[in-house]
Amino acid sequence: MNLNIDAQEQNTYDAIVIGSGISGGWAAKELTEKGLKVLMLERGRNIEHIKDYTTATKEAWEFPHRGGRTQQMINDYPVLKRDYPLNETVLDLWVKDKECPYTEVKRFDWFRGYHVGGRSLTWGRQSYRFNKWDFEANAREGIAVDWPIRYEDMAPWYSYAEKFAGIQGSKEGLDVLPDGDFMPAMELNCAEKEVKKRMEAHYKGKRHLMIGRSANLTQPHNNRTNCQYRNRCWRGCPFGGYFSTQSATLPAAMKTGNLTLRPFSIVTQILYDKDKKKATGVQILDAETNQTYEFKSKIVFLCASALNSTWVLMNSATDVWADGLGSSSGELGHNVMDHHFRVGAGGTVEGFSDKYEYGRRPTGIYIPRFRNVYDDKRDYLRGFGYQGGAGRGRVSEVAEMMIGAELKEALSVPKDDWSFSITAFGEMLPYHENKIALDKNVKDKWGLPVLSFDVEIKENEKKMRIDMMNDAKEMLEASGLKDVNTYDRGYAVGMGIHEMGTARMGRDPKTSVLNKHNQVWDAPNIFVTDGACMTSASCVNPSLTYMAMTARAADYAVNELKKQNL
Amino acid sequence: MNRRELLKQIALVTGAVVVGGDFFITGCKQTGKSEAGFTPSTIGLLDEVGETIIPATTTPGAKAAKIGEFMKVMVTDCYTEKQEVAFTNGLVSLEEACETMHGKRFLECDATERKAFLLSLEKEAKEFNQKRDEDDKLKKENHQQANDKLAWKDQTEFEGNPSHYYTMMKQLTLLGFFSSETGMTETLRYAAVPGRYDGAVPYTKGEKAWA
Repeated sequence: MNLNIDAQEQNTYDAIVIGSGISGGWAAKELTEKGLKVLMLERGRNIEHIKDYTTATKEAWEFPHRGGRTQQMINDYPVLKRDYPLNETVLDLWVKDKECPYTEVKRFDWFRGYHVGGRSLTWGRQSYRFNKWDFEANAREGIAVDWPIRYEDMAPWYSYAEKFAGIQGSKEGLDVLPDGDFMPAMELNCAEKEVKKRMEAHYKGKRHLMIGRSANLTQPHNNRTNCQYRNRCWRGCPFGGYFSTQSATLPAAMKTGNLTLRPFSIVTQILYDKDKKKATGVQILDAETNQTYEFKSKIVFLCASALNSTWVLMNSATDVWADGLGSSSGELGHNVMDHHFRVGAGGTVEGFSDKYEYGRRPTGIYIPRFRNVYDDKRDYLRGFGYQGGAGRGRVSEVAEMMIGAELKEALSVPKDDWSFSITAFGEMLPYHENKIALDKNVKDKWGLPVLSFDVEIKENEKKMRIDMMNDAKEMLEASGLKDVNTYDRGYAVGMGIHEMGTARMGRDPKTSVLNKHNQVWDAPNIFVTDGACMTSASCVNPSLTYMAMTARAADYAVNELKKQNL
Repeated sequence: MNRRELLKQIALVTGAVVVGGDFFITGCKQTGKSEAGFTPSTIGLLDEVGETIIPATTTPGAKAAKIGEFMKVMVTDCYTEKQEVAFTNGLVSLEEACETMHGKRFLECDATERKAFLLSLEKEAKEFNQKRDEDDKLKKENHQQANDKLAWKDQTEFEGNPSHYYTMMKQLTLLGFFSSETGMTETLRYAAVPGRYDGAVPYTKGEKAWA
């Protein structure tokens, strides 16, 4: 790997990419393939594909606490402990909370991955296109500002991203969830097929159940092996079976010979020339040596993850704008979004006691949005989709006072019936008052100011959650499930790990930070293409949109460079 | 079956939330604490308690899964101070109760006596846990009410009283056994690299479950 250790000798590149997660990886791939010399900066350590996936082939019994959490871990990770990410199996793929604190005016669960590959290693891999209404809803409903682009602008780039990443899924012909260029779909199991049949019949084709579209290969692709059905993606896949920076974009970028990757490089600011109104490069702090370096480039792709990209902007050009580069709109740091979830229902599917599963499929089912589409109207805006699936667990109800051989026997066989459950993921509106800001009173391990969070869900989301639960119950009961139970496990913003907004795209520099090509209005050679750019959130998982958005912006950037417009 | 499902199964079987389960988030134990409660002889005792709950049959049992050693690691590393104290005190209580019932120590009992004794503990534990739940209910409500008046940052997790020591031992036996190599590959079935997925494999009643 081309590590740039001797930073003094070479400090000028065509492009600098800040961040190495899903968006940064795509930026590096696209820009290097188009012939640019690129420096990719990553604040954390390097993780090499396969070699550094330390737990990828460990079995449950090889973990001393069998994948659980110790009191030591709970003490060390005050944020991560709030949900499932804190466990023994992938501890080194999450940030050390205490080194990187942040301030919570209101609770915000921020689960970060500071290392090469970022959260592309641990992501849930669900990959959906936004639909045409997602890009129009703000304008139609008078919410926030209008997206400066439409579905048609994104469609070719979605295709481009899907073909390279390898997304498995089924074509359904739905407006609400556009089809893509998919690999053959993974199979629904027998219980899911039955629920699909009954649900679609009951709702007369107005609701749909399909395999969860995911970035898991069902065919070999670009030297990557197809999925082996271990369902351990989040530990890193030794087969390259799912899309990550390491398995897909980084090797492509490296192959060009045009990429330099520099880990342990915390970008402290983008250097700004106020006369030319352009970025000239970046300043970094070496996370290991605490030395400061400067690197120069013609363009900068800022892909540090939504909220950290905004942190970089807030710390840049403060001599011109006190609140940082892009703050002239008054929107930098505002409109924080996530997907709210942890509410749904589950029940029992009878009639398949003579069937079982083989293999561990790394995706579930998806039920696309049906609220507030076509002639459906609710007392809230936008909608939600469901993710879930069916499985046949082991027996968990035994007679009282049973121990010994009897108990062992009873617990060693599957239940008679399959269980099926779904969880809703709802759209969160962009509210100006949901914001992040710099807290200069609190410093991280490197003495840098941290972010302060003031974000909450409001009435629209709360009303939606009622439907999210009730609709789940109604659908499962209408599909013939027995013993249907609902749940709402509570939601704190950030838990979706889908942070979006804070440097939104728009049509007017007075009300948005970025233009329709993801350029900072006040510095057009800076492109922000990660979650920060989102003008609204849709209810579908956002990563595929970041991939497409980044490829689209990179194409534009290189064309503009050729025309000497940047 | 993943870890979360295993925890759910154990909670249902033992009628109590699994101690140290994924969503128990309070951290109140000082680190670097002792393993004083666990000597080779207590580990030997716990091996036999585990073996009585999940014995060797046509496949190895909990002892073969080194269940005593597993309990030591889990109690030392994952339990809160309060839970650990309840567990280690339980080691003494267990011997006393066995003495009362059979007039001898647990390890001196034969398999039938051990089973009868643990069944008596099972009954005692059920009543104990029910009473604990009732007591905790009011405390939990009061705690919640107090929390509601505080800023979210000042709110604290409610830590109820620990379950009966036998419940802890049974939970750890089930967790340890069904996530052990022998439990997963001999009592259950396991494919490390399945290579394919089939969502409608014929199944005949009685066939082993997949781990």
